[in-house]
Amino acid sequence: MSDAAPPRPRAFRLAPATDPAGAPRLEGGASIAPETFDPFAKEAEAALDPDEARVERAQAQGMASKRRFSLAAVFWTASGLLVSLAAGLWIDRIVEDLFSRSRALGAVGLALAAIALAALAGLVAREARAVLRQRGIARLHAGLAAARAADDGRAARVLVAELAGLYAHRPETASARAELARLQGEIVDGRDLIDLAERTLVAPLDRRARAEIAAAARRVSAFTTLAPRAALDVIFVAAQAIRLVRRIAEIYGGRPGALGLLRIGRSALAHLAVTGGVAAGDTILQQVLGHGIAARISAKLGEGVLNGLLTTRLGLSAMAVCRPAPYAAIAPPGVTDVAPFLLKGWKAAGEQKDVG
Amino acid sequence: MPFFDDLWFETRIIARSLGDALGGRGLRLGVTGLSRAGKTVFVTSLVHNLVAGGRLPVLRVVAEGRMGRAILKPQPDDAVPRFSYEEHLAALTGEDRHWPESTRRISELRLTIEFERANGWSSGKSSLTVDIVDYPGEWLLDLPLLGKDYAQFARETVAASAAPGRAALAGQWRDTLAADDPDAEADEERARISARAFADYLRASRADRYALSTLPPGRFLMPGDLDGSPALTFAPLRLKDGAPIRPGSQAALMARRYEAYKAHVVRPFFADHFARLDRQVVLVDALAALNSGPEAVRDLERALGDVLSAFRVGARSSLATLFRPRIDRILFAATKADHLHHTSHDRLEAILRLLAGRAIGRAEGLGAEIDVVALAAVRATREAEVKHGRETLPAIVGVPMAGETVGGETFDGEAEAAIFPGELPADPKRALDGEALALGDGEADWRFVKFRPPVYAKGEFGPVPAPQIRLDRALQFLIGDRLA
Repeated sequence: MSDAAPPRPRAFRLAPATDPAGAPRLEGGASIAPETFDPFAKEAEAALDPDEARVERAQAQGMASKRRFSLAAVFWTASGLLVSLAAGLWIDRIVEDLFSRSRALGAVGLALAAIALAALAGLVAREARAVLRQRGIARLHAGLAAARAADDGRAARVLVAELAGLYAHRPETASARAELARLQGEIVDGRDLIDLAERTLVAPLDRRARAEIAAAARRVSAFTTLAPRAALDVIFVAAQAIRLVRRIAEIYGGRPGALGLLRIGRSALAHLAVTGGVAAGDTILQQVLGHGIAARISAKLGEGVLNGLLTTRLGLSAMAVCRPAPYAAIAPPGVTDVAPFLLKGWKAAGEQKDVG
Repeated sequence: MPFFDDLWFETRIIARSLGDALGGRGLRLGVTGLSRAGKTVFVTSLVHNLVAGGRLPVLRVVAEGRMGRAILKPQPDDAVPRFSYEEHLAALTGEDRHWPESTRRISELRLTIEFERANGWSSGKSSLTVDIVDYPGEWLLDLPLLGKDYAQFARETVAASAAPGRAALAGQWRDTLAADDPDAEADEERARISARAFADYLRASRADRYALSTLPPGRFLMPGDLDGSPALTFAPLRLKDGAPIRPGSQAALMARRYEAYKAHVVRPFFADHFARLDRQVVLVDALAALNSGPEAVRDLERALGDVLSAFRVGARSSLATLFRPRIDRILFAATKADHLHHTSHDRLEAILRLLAGRAIGRAEGLGAEIDVVALAAVRATREAEVKHGRETLPAIVGVPMAGETVGGETFDGEAEAAIFPGELPADPKRALDGEALALGDGEADWRFVKFRPPVYAKGEFGPVPAPQIRLDRALQFLIGDRLA
């Protein structure tokens, strides 16, 4: 096939249309089929995926948010400094008092204050590193999305190397990293390289994240169903949500501390807020709720499933914003993919009730 | 007094930059390309799409629904002609639809885009003023002359004319050259004869059939109001290596005029226009070169390298670099992508990437972002599949221009036809292999036909923008970040 001479350039005149609505005809016994879709519209769609835009906007609101001027920020900064001053003054007082009682006590107090200060500095440094790391992941995500849309081979090579570097300390990614390193030098399209990286390097992490979400959803729905007090399950659900977001961030290479977690949480919630409406369109859920079955079965069981669904949705949003690569070769999972048991539970419960 | 000249030159650039910096946050977009690359159509379609609200899905500001409106504003630079957008649009959309006349000189157009800002602490209503500066790409080839003296220029031009592709075209001028004695007394008549022969040679290499790109000086092809002035009446002479130019000789006359050309033509363009650009799009008609043959493609590669070396001019000059606005994004666009099927676009982009490769390598140190795209500012064709015998050919359907020939068919400019232009090579290097130039119909594996503009639909407020190919992607790259 490849050795055959390429077809020669040729022209086929279109016969003057006798019927304006009819299909065009060619002179000389050839037939013509007009293109049924616009290839360039498809390309434009690929370049500007609305889901991807949502993820990036959500990331920009939390993890990758830039410092900008706001009155709230000024207030918090000023108040924080004031409180620090107060704390400093207080410690200074204590140490002074201790010294006035005895030199030894004073020395101990001073040493403790120094240790506390050093530890605080360490904590702050760790937090800062975690936040920067998470921001780097968000930037990697946006960069990969842009390089993929533009099919930019050069940028793709740099970013995929960076992605591999993110997981360099994980032994289970060794073979995927070796494969990607081998492809760096070869003639591969930028888009293909990114897709391959997603399939080999990120997909195993996806599986772990999904398992984590499923487990959390199961725990939350079971506990809500069985918990004796409403207040208790609120605390439990919140704790589970925080734990889940943290686990997902860790799976994808982040090491969030308190502040980092707060930022990821903000991004995940921002993403949840814009995609929540889409999720409600999950057909099964709509059907179930639409038929008012929720009212007909045990209120407690219903609450449990709802909390489970919410946890799953939050987990999926956290996954979308923590993932260093955009969903491209792999379709973003939905609730039915991750925690099918929740919806099955609904159905089964509904059917049981119908039968009974 | 070259020193004072230089000082004055630098001062002017700095003053300009300061003025621009204080004057507001506009953006100057340079549009250039060697002649017939499609600059005029590109600018016209770009403005039309923005002003009349064309479909630009990849431009984020449009996709996210933040676009307000775009309006034409009075042209700000009093000494520069306005880009006659209305005339060019009328040419495209009129009864007798034809491609507008080509760029012969610099022209400018101011466009204000109103939009909603999405991020940053200045969110809310905002506007961006874009000054589109359209100028012939040949002028860029002049910029490297700033760093060359007459002897170097003459040596290089004479050497280039001996290259196999050009030797035949340069024959007449080379005869004149052989008859010229650089050491003879200065003679105006001789100077005019050599200048004319030289200009004829430059013009001949630009003919459609050869599609060679141009050598400097670019203004010889488009003299404008300088036609016949001494600054344009000079030609390279065959100088003896190392021998100084004797005052009063023919060579001295030529050298003085060469310096005058630099002072009156090249420097003003650099200081008043080029040094003030923020973004640049370089349009390339790769299809014409591919039609002509590998020699023309290689020549295009050289010309692109030269064009890009223009972006380096002044990079090492001291103080001015601090104040000078820098071109921070350069887009190479292969135009007329609608003249081949979309399945071949990747190959066209690969060829352009290869052609601009050396140029891109050079621009690396400039800190400018570079992108390559195959686009069509106005899409004149649609796509179809033709079944002929047992073959299925990806074809494009449109009205070829009068006189175009492919596969033995000649068109009259009225009949519609489905054209299979052939396949571009999968390996872009193959497009550069060979010595052929000015190939006729049926001699190459591909033949790209020129098409007439499409029929514009009439809307409530004049013609509706015609479909385009990746014009929106180009816009997103060029101005999208300023519309965020």
